[in-house]
Amino acid sequence: MLKSKTFVKKTRSGGVMKIVREHYLRDDIWCGSEVCSECKQESTVLQRDACIESNLCPFPHYLVPDTNVVLHQIDVLEDPVIRNVIILQTVMQEVRHRSAPVYKRLKDLIHDKEKHFYTFTNEHHRETFIEREPGESANDRNDRAIRVAAKWYSQHLKTPEAEAEGLRVVLITNDQGNKAKAEESGLLVYRCEEYIKSLIANPELVDRLALSNNEQNEISSSKVLFPEHLPLSRIQAGIKSGTFLQGTFRASRDNYLEATVFVQGEGEDSTEIILQGLQNLNRAVHQDVVAVQLLPRDQWVAPSSVVLQDDGVPKDDETNEEEDGRRKRICVEEHMKPTGKVVGIIKRNWRPFCGMLNVSQIKESTRHLFTPADRRIPRIRIETRQASTLAGQRIMVAIDGWPKHSRYPNGHFVRSLGSAGDKETETEVLLLEHDVPHQAFSQAVLSFLPKMPWTITPEDMVKREDLRQLTVCSVDPPGCTDIDDALHCRELDNGNFEVGVHIADVSHFIRPGNALDKEAANRGTTVYLCGRRIDMVPELLSSNLCSLRSNVERMAFSCIWEMNHNAEILKTRFTKSVINSKASLTYAEAQMRIDDTSMNDDITKSLRGLNKLAKILKRRRIENGALTLSSLEVRFHIDSETHDPIDLQTKELMETNSMVEEFMLLANISVAQKIYDEFSECALLRKHPAPPPSNYDILIKAAKSKGLEIHTDSAKALADSLDVAKVDGFSYFNTLLRILATRCMMQAVYFCSGMDSDFHHYGLASSIYTHFTSPIRRYSDIIVHRLLAVAIGADSTYPDLMDKHKQSALCNNLNYRHKMAQYAQRASVAFHTQLFFKNRGILNEEGFILFVRKNAIIVLIPKFGLEGTVFFDGKGKTGVNLRFDEEVPSLTVEQHTFHMFDKVNVTISLDDSNIQHQKIRMALLEPVIPGVSVPAPEVEPQPKKPKLDR
Amino acid sequence: MATVQVSEAEKVYILHGIRDDLRVDGRSCEDYRHMEIETDVVSNTDGSAKVTLGHTVVLVGIKAEIGKPRPMVPDEGYLEFFVDCSANATPEFEGRGGEELGTELSNTLYKVFNNKRSLDMKSLCISPGEHCWLLYVDVLLLQCDGNLYDAISIAVKAALFNTKIPRVHISADDEGGKEIELSDDPYDCVRINVENVPCIVTLCKVGHRHVVDATLQEKACSVASLIISVTHKGTVTCVRKVGGGSLDPESIFEMTEAGKRVGKALHAPLMKLLQQEESLGKKRQKVGFLG
Repeated sequence: MLKSKTFVKKTRSGGVMKIVREHYLRDDIWCGSEVCSECKQESTVLQRDACIESNLCPFPHYLVPDTNVVLHQIDVLEDPVIRNVIILQTVMQEVRHRSAPVYKRLKDLIHDKEKHFYTFTNEHHRETFIEREPGESANDRNDRAIRVAAKWYSQHLKTPEAEAEGLRVVLITNDQGNKAKAEESGLLVYRCEEYIKSLIANPELVDRLALSNNEQNEISSSKVLFPEHLPLSRIQAGIKSGTFLQGTFRASRDNYLEATVFVQGEGEDSTEIILQGLQNLNRAVHQDVVAVQLLPRDQWVAPSSVVLQDDGVPKDDETNEEEDGRRKRICVEEHMKPTGKVVGIIKRNWRPFCGMLNVSQIKESTRHLFTPADRRIPRIRIETRQASTLAGQRIMVAIDGWPKHSRYPNGHFVRSLGSAGDKETETEVLLLEHDVPHQAFSQAVLSFLPKMPWTITPEDMVKREDLRQLTVCSVDPPGCTDIDDALHCRELDNGNFEVGVHIADVSHFIRPGNALDKEAANRGTTVYLCGRRIDMVPELLSSNLCSLRSNVERMAFSCIWEMNHNAEILKTRFTKSVINSKASLTYAEAQMRIDDTSMNDDITKSLRGLNKLAKILKRRRIENGALTLSSLEVRFHIDSETHDPIDLQTKELMETNSMVEEFMLLANISVAQKIYDEFSECALLRKHPAPPPSNYDILIKAAKSKGLEIHTDSAKALADSLDVAKVDGFSYFNTLLRILATRCMMQAVYFCSGMDSDFHHYGLASSIYTHFTSPIRRYSDIIVHRLLAVAIGADSTYPDLMDKHKQSALCNNLNYRHKMAQYAQRASVAFHTQLFFKNRGILNEEGFILFVRKNAIIVLIPKFGLEGTVFFDGKGKTGVNLRFDEEVPSLTVEQHTFHMFDKVNVTISLDDSNIQHQKIRMALLEPVIPGVSVPAPEVEPQPKKPKLDR
Repeated sequence: MATVQVSEAEKVYILHGIRDDLRVDGRSCEDYRHMEIETDVVSNTDGSAKVTLGHTVVLVGIKAEIGKPRPMVPDEGYLEFFVDCSANATPEFEGRGGEELGTELSNTLYKVFNNKRSLDMKSLCISPGEHCWLLYVDVLLLQCDGNLYDAISIAVKAALFNTKIPRVHISADDEGGKEIELSDDPYDCVRINVENVPCIVTLCKVGHRHVVDATLQEKACSVASLIISVTHKGTVTCVRKVGGGSLDPESIFEMTEAGKRVGKALHAPLMKLLQQEESLGKKRQKVGFLG
């Protein structure tokens, strides 16, 4: 049967278009129920005994939720208790239209076999399709469609069999009008709260109910705390006319009363607007897209460099306001920045947040505050009856809304992650908070893996160069299972060297566009945490088929150079190949072979050749102005039983490290050049922009304080002046300086060559660069492999590869994932450092001042690669005389003046007074300043017990 | 234009018949052939009608679009006509064969319909000087069996009657920027008042008499014809002579009178029919092109 759906649409150019769609109705859409004998369905989803302990519906029943219930109560629906739900197509479409994340979660639910969720395509069913009537709004029409479908179900299931079971259909809606109409037509209908509360066996579900607005529990006094948000239409008009600015709201990590809004301007000119004070922040939450109005110039402020946390018990709002007012006045004229206030929210970017519950002081209270792990997120008020069990656990909470008379947003409990401080829980939290996709690979993804046992077939060999006889070996850190590079070097008959870099041919296994490829593209990178690795591709590939292990045949993508003894490249060639690595060495093993003169086998000779060439390459690179920077990397010795860190050491660098690195750089540069020559519009490259000169201010000032001069005009000048910057009797000074220099740098990013003109890689002093050598752990390399394969005719191309806009979008995701992976890594190290110090008690260590702040110094402990802050104000330390000189910079505390690089002695302890943000606390030991420094550790009081009433 | 070959004997037969007010198909001189009208036949137009007159079949579709008013009349919308002579109708229309006829027809239609006496052009205005509705009237000739003008004009009137223009609102914000807002309800539309829309009556001078709704054979016997557009009140709004022969003032007067009479008689049943069809609403069985 054919119907047509008609609607009018406004086109982008302002015209009006009538659109007519043909709509086919069918009579072969089955109901999906086990009890139905009428429908000729092959498999059923809805169970016969759809029982759930409810005092409203003691009989078996199927649920039919309406759109708003799905949208707002998806957390409830996700609970394993809720099963046998009929999701109507009308509901699906509306959900999809209104919220993409909820839609995705709904789809996942439907795919979950355990949940018995059935999608009924009522819009295409002959008996349940309805046409919109004159005068009926789209919403009314959909509500009616839901009622009609529910009615159809209840009549359809009136089979003798179902009657015997007492099976019924229950419509769940929160809409009063809809409910009344449904009751009128004889349907069984409940409000969501009503129904969930009736589930006597599962009282905890009630907590998951999102607070709906109509039964607003007057949580705070009716006093209006915040200005009203403007309606969207006025915001849009305001943005068009320029009175408002649109931007992303970024809360400050250090000061809960301050935030910036990043306004993307035309082309390069983007501005940052400062917002200060609760009133001006006006209920915006980190990452929301907001509309901002600029304040008049005389109200502009400077960003405060004070660290301010909204901690402890909820303070009285008034005091906060006062503090806020005081802060405004202390700013300095010249640092004024554009200041504004939020007038409206364009798009909320709320996601479920990880954090912990602050259990209310009042016993029996069901309302509690939740403190998110991310300091930029305000605390959230939730209602729960299980506060006592949730205390001390890491939980997830979603925000439901932020009424204008409430100091905090209202939310609801989503799920518990486990008890705080637990290694698994904490890792889960940091993965969630850094948006690292870490679920197990889905069946769809795994289905694209090659079938085991896997071997290289003769067909594969035809297209590949046979390099199995070459003496190839790999050099990696100990314990590495995803080996993506191997090397060889041999002397040719003409006296030149042939050097080959062989990279795992991951793109052979991951074909463009399939689920495996999409998953890898989304993950972007493998994330290495302490003691855990979150793979970008399934383990079969990463640790087996792609890993270039020794003495097995593996497919590779090889880059082979002919070089003379001066390491000058005479010829470059790329080929897909098959190799058989002769040895998998660690850096230390390789180093030992090179140094051991008694060894003279092929592998060792090959290594020596490589090492010799690498040294020349490195020297040449440094002459060209490549930077050698420093950052302290820490490795934990993990106890094999408890997986607790037992020792920690900074990473040691050997000659072989730089040998491998040198050839990887060379391969990357060669490949970058090749793919750019071949595809000037769509090559995926990596650039490292030169930092703006102002970034170096702190470095220049710091060096000046030691009487040294640092030139920052070019990378070369910087490298040279860093090399000569040495202070007698202070050997660590140069390393400190390099650490500082690293902090001045910009982030290196991927980009698509057709979208940018500046390709320069500042740090490597190379005019072009890309990533080719780690396709197992980076998606960018897979794309580069594909480009190169097309360039040498070894593989076919596909449209997305040549689309510079798609490439560019991919680059954005990769850059984001890399940044997040880095943060997650750092957070993991920080957590393990805390675990380490937890077991150590209080230590007494020597360190150097890295930065001087207004109210604190930041100290680096070289032994642990650990950085910490020593505060001079704060709790119990009021009245300390502080003088901060920004020019030097220096901080005078009482009589003592701290400069950068000063040597200090500090005590290190774990501050677990706030279980959510356990942190390393440092206190000054030496120099001794009365009233500021602490006595030697023995007398230090024991760290306070966690503030939890268990 | 489709032509038929008529022999001398046939011509005489037709001429004599008309002289005695009895035409070949049994009609009198002022009779129309059997006529069928169906509206709302093309779903993706805003208004449409199909008219079958004898073996002449025309389809008219109207699309409403938002455009800029003409500078001379900033507070009025306007109509645009396009006549497509499908090669379906006759092989002569193949390629660009029908272009000349199409242009001629559309020019005439433009003169007849696009004036404020036949349609309330002001009702098509959305905001003066900025936005107005412009109606694209597309005519498709599906079969030609004479008397195209009359059939097309009736189809246009029926299609205009059927046209539903989506209701739009102009929302002005504080800064004076105007935004067109569309109603969310597809049933929320504006109708056009077609009361004064004229119909064309073509009178063919055959021998000493004149006939309405001439078939192709009769047309071949005629020397000249007069196209008269008449409103429901009998007012003549446009007269045009086509054909090579000449007409004496006497017969022009007679023909105009006859045209007025026939035209006036045409409107009442047409409107009645259209309203009847409209009142059926969704229950109406659609005939379409295969019925």
